[in-house]
Amino acid sequence: MMSSSLFVNRSLCLIVFCMVFFSCKHEDKYHGVMEKIEAEGEHYQGVSLSSENYLEGVDTILISEGGHTFLIPERKNQIKLYACTECHSKPLAEMQEGDIKKAHWDIKIVHANEKAMNCVTCHNPSNMDELRSVTGMSIDFDNSYNLCSQCHSKQFEDWKGGAHGKRIGGWAPPRASMTCVNCHNPHQPHFESRWPARFNTQKVKERE
Amino acid sequence: MSRSNKKWFSLNLSRKQNDDSGTCGCGKTSGGCGSHSNDAEMSEEEFYHAAVNASIGDEREKDGFDQVFDVKMDRRTAFRKLAASLLIGAGAVNTSCSMLSSDESKEKAQIDWEEQFKGNYKLMTDDEKKNTVDRLVRSYQLRTGKTISMSSKNAEEDVLFGYAFNISKCQGYMDCVSACVKENNQDRNSQMQYIRIHEMKDGEGLKFDEADDNYYHEVPAEGHFYLGTQCFHCDNPPCVEVCPVQATWREDDGLVVVDYDWCVGCRYCMAACPYDGRRFNWSKPEVPEEEVNHNQHYLGNRMRKKGVMEKCTFCVQRSREGKNPACVEACPTGARIFGNLLDPNSTIRWVLENKKVFRLKEDLGTEPKFWYFMD
Repeated sequence: MMSSSLFVNRSLCLIVFCMVFFSCKHEDKYHGVMEKIEAEGEHYQGVSLSSENYLEGVDTILISEGGHTFLIPERKNQIKLYACTECHSKPLAEMQEGDIKKAHWDIKIVHANEKAMNCVTCHNPSNMDELRSVTGMSIDFDNSYNLCSQCHSKQFEDWKGGAHGKRIGGWAPPRASMTCVNCHNPHQPHFESRWPARFNTQKVKERE
Repeated sequence: MSRSNKKWFSLNLSRKQNDDSGTCGCGKTSGGCGSHSNDAEMSEEEFYHAAVNASIGDEREKDGFDQVFDVKMDRRTAFRKLAASLLIGAGAVNTSCSMLSSDESKEKAQIDWEEQFKGNYKLMTDDEKKNTVDRLVRSYQLRTGKTISMSSKNAEEDVLFGYAFNISKCQGYMDCVSACVKENNQDRNSQMQYIRIHEMKDGEGLKFDEADDNYYHEVPAEGHFYLGTQCFHCDNPPCVEVCPVQATWREDDGLVVVDYDWCVGCRYCMAACPYDGRRFNWSKPEVPEEEVNHNQHYLGNRMRKKGVMEKCTFCVQRSREGKNPACVEACPTGARIFGNLLDPNSTIRWVLENKKVFRLKEDLGTEPKFWYFMD
């Protein structure tokens, strides 16, 4: 009698234990995906995939800014008439006087206002092959982001980290990101409004 | 007729028998299952009798009530009968027995047969995955004369895919939607789209019921912002839990995928998804031949059929090769960021750690791997 009630007790305990143990689904040992990422990321060994193949045909330069090292497209070889001094052989004032064929007539500055910016805010009139900072230091055309970051420091921080701007190649390392002037025309940096790429006519019918 | 290590029954209609073990798919070593013969090819009459025998068997002796209720049937017999009737129904008899039918049509029938009875992709070995992909490529070639490439690449070690969406950058251009439709061979007739861009009023919060996800006017519209949704590849996906046939699951790199050949089209997952991330093929998806993306993955953008679920796979055919999904590549504003969450130096990790991110319906515990942030 005693032993049977003990048996019943034990099996009851076992059943309760099993219910408690198996009813909660603890398939994952982490409480959330953030915890999981941090824990599993600690043992990150790197991946065998690479973006290098997708960067073929793009000339890139390696930059290191604020602890982030990544590739950006080369700029100077993309500028059709670089080097500028091939035409700008004389001081600007002289070139504007004579009856030389007009150049850059189509460039309009829609960037900040006249008080803040004009051509020579960025371009160096004494050396047309280079850009210059507000303090007069020279900046290479390939590193023009240094010019933009003088005012747009918030965007610069985001760009370095990867929150602003767009990747070239794939997600896999090495990281290659577009630089400011690959998306923004420096003379008119805003994005134009336009019509959406497509319209779903079927959805309209379904919702009628 | 079938190799014993296969998980499904297969019938060799045209190929020479390689193994002489003499076992057939029904498990018997001697006749009686109807698909066994000593000769490599049966005569038409023999096949007919064998097929009839296999499908109705001793029911020929019974009639009426007995035929329906007095049936001794175990699982194996049931499957055998089902298989045999399918064989007849599908017209495989026609192609396999006719002396006139070409090798090509026999091969087609053979492929269809093997595809019909293959297992769940999730349970397949790498060899089996490769075989089914090869069959699908060959089948496409036989039917259209076009060669596609299809991958069965598995998840990479040390990879967990994640996505971030900048709602202050998105301008509502919908270039992502366009790129997605082209990349993933989505049905052009029903205009299926995995991505929705919701146009929301500034200052009113995220009101999906009041947002317009099918606008057509110049964008960005004054006083509005844009928020895109698609499959969020939840780490705790409710859609996977409800699938009665396990045709959808979470891969090791975090992608939630669908085996289109295993899906029965019950749409439970569609109902379970709190994010409207899943789409159903009400009709046979059609893509003009010249627009078909030939770079495919079994779990990704290969051609689907009528009555199955599909959804965004973070372009598995691209992401597992190290590329960005098509939507990320197409976005002209850089609002979309994709990468490996386990890589501490990845840009996606920087966004999660340095920007103020949020996810939709976080309280549900679905753990989506799709974050939103603002400048």
